[in-house]
Amino acid sequence: MNSPDVERRLRRWAEAKALPPAYVQKCLTLDEPSQKGLLQIAESLKMHTGQFIAALTLLDEIAIREGRQVDEILAYPSVRRVLNSTGSGPGRARILLDELRTLRYPRLKRAGQRLAEEVSAIKLPPGIKITLPRDLASDEVRVEIAARTSTEMKQLLECLTAKSGEIVRLVAMLDGADGGGLEVE
Amino acid sequence: MKRKMNFELDTVVIEEGCRASALATRIVGAVPASVHVRYVSDGRLEVRPPTGTRDPFGVGKRRMVIMPRRGPFLMGCPASSTQFACCGYLVLVLASNCPMDCSYCFLQEHLANNPGLQLYANYHDAFNELDRLAHTGCERSFRVGTGELADSLAFDSLTGISRDLVSYFSKHEALMLELKTKTDEIDNLLAIDPRGRTTVSWSLAPTRVFATSEHRTAPPQSRINAARRVLDAGYKVGFHLDPLIAYPGADQDYLELLDNVFDGLPPRTIAFFSLGGLRMTPGLRTAARRRFPKDPMLVGEEVLGEDGRYRAFTPLRLRLFSKLCDRIKRACPALPVYLCMETASAHHRVFGAAPLTPAALSSRLAGNW
Repeated sequence: MNSPDVERRLRRWAEAKALPPAYVQKCLTLDEPSQKGLLQIAESLKMHTGQFIAALTLLDEIAIREGRQVDEILAYPSVRRVLNSTGSGPGRARILLDELRTLRYPRLKRAGQRLAEEVSAIKLPPGIKITLPRDLASDEVRVEIAARTSTEMKQLLECLTAKSGEIVRLVAMLDGADGGGLEVE
Repeated sequence: MKRKMNFELDTVVIEEGCRASALATRIVGAVPASVHVRYVSDGRLEVRPPTGTRDPFGVGKRRMVIMPRRGPFLMGCPASSTQFACCGYLVLVLASNCPMDCSYCFLQEHLANNPGLQLYANYHDAFNELDRLAHTGCERSFRVGTGELADSLAFDSLTGISRDLVSYFSKHEALMLELKTKTDEIDNLLAIDPRGRTTVSWSLAPTRVFATSEHRTAPPQSRINAARRVLDAGYKVGFHLDPLIAYPGADQDYLELLDNVFDGLPPRTIAFFSLGGLRMTPGLRTAARRRFPKDPMLVGEEVLGEDGRYRAFTPLRLRLFSKLCDRIKRACPALPVYLCMETASAHHRVFGAAPLTPAALSSRLAGNW
């Protein structure tokens, strides 16, 4: 495929998917191998417009931060694994977006996983729910108790008291002092 | 001999009513002959975004408009909010916009509709407002800064305003002037005795951030060297590690930066450090990325917070604050450190204690604690 071919096919795909002009323009400013790579994922994964916009935005931001071209990001083994996997196109597109989010926010992903593991390890009964701040964007941890009878409430409160040390430790972890997942690899 | 001007201008526009002002006379006499000077009846029309350009904000920075300030000069810090533990900073608006061009600067959004460099010819009127503040009759001291909507010293080679300011504050015990800058333009300061009533503060970032994001500013080491010189001339000196950008490896770079500061100035001689994480409204983020599409510092691991700003996610940000705070406290336990635009709970997590009230912190930073 030479450059005019890639550009023509990208424009055709964009027109069919009603891709907003700003994103078409963004695609066309990329180098040829990157345009080609984008076109390939758009076509082979049968991406929806929203999926394509999300992928393009994430790829562009990863490329800026890592000082690479978009086609180099698409060649990362973790990305190739998704692209070469089996399954429906849109389903693989969703997995690809998850992988790109991991590449875009690597330390957030690790810290989030680490905290989620801590929550699981507390082994709370179904009536008590701990909610971590969305995207770890604040330091507020929410604890909810749901009970239908006074006996159940009493049991849950006793359980909460017994687990208080672990819950307090979890809240303290939000200041990052334990370093969980935040180190540079 | 004309003094060196450290930034580029295309035009100086002077409102007719300010033609004979001391400020206009000084500036017309100081700008290079290549700068076009013209006069208009209303300067307000000239600060609006120029048309026919992809970067009106950037083009606006090349047009200086000398006009009267029509509103009050003194106001509360625009960053203050009941959501945050604030420092009680008061802002004296003597200029608007900045000839330097940091990719993350909030002025890109704040002044999007009036990006021209405004300098106020009637700045002496600000002293009347300060007189009233100084004589409010309360016991506290006030910290007043000029570096919020403009860099405090960026224009000083042209205007010489710092001399008038330092001289005024040197006579007022209840007021402390803070000149906040990313320049090394300190020549005017060295000739005056501040009598302990002026702090010169530098926003500092590691060389990596300077190289990618702080366009037309002085290099970090030049800022530290300038700080040493004003310290020796009798000024207080403070540092703002703001915005802290939590890129991979930032911890080490910022700790090295602190080492460089402490190599240049004994820690006990430093008046304060402030720490503030990079924060951007969605509008600012869009504007900044449009103007600096290849800046890696603008694509960090920021997430949208409860106050509608993007910041590095909480554990990452607080960990960086804590590391730097520990290093500063190790160097000098009594050295005041505070957080900018962070909640009381963030303050508690970093310092292990509740924050001071804005009035108390302001008084402390004004040196009357």
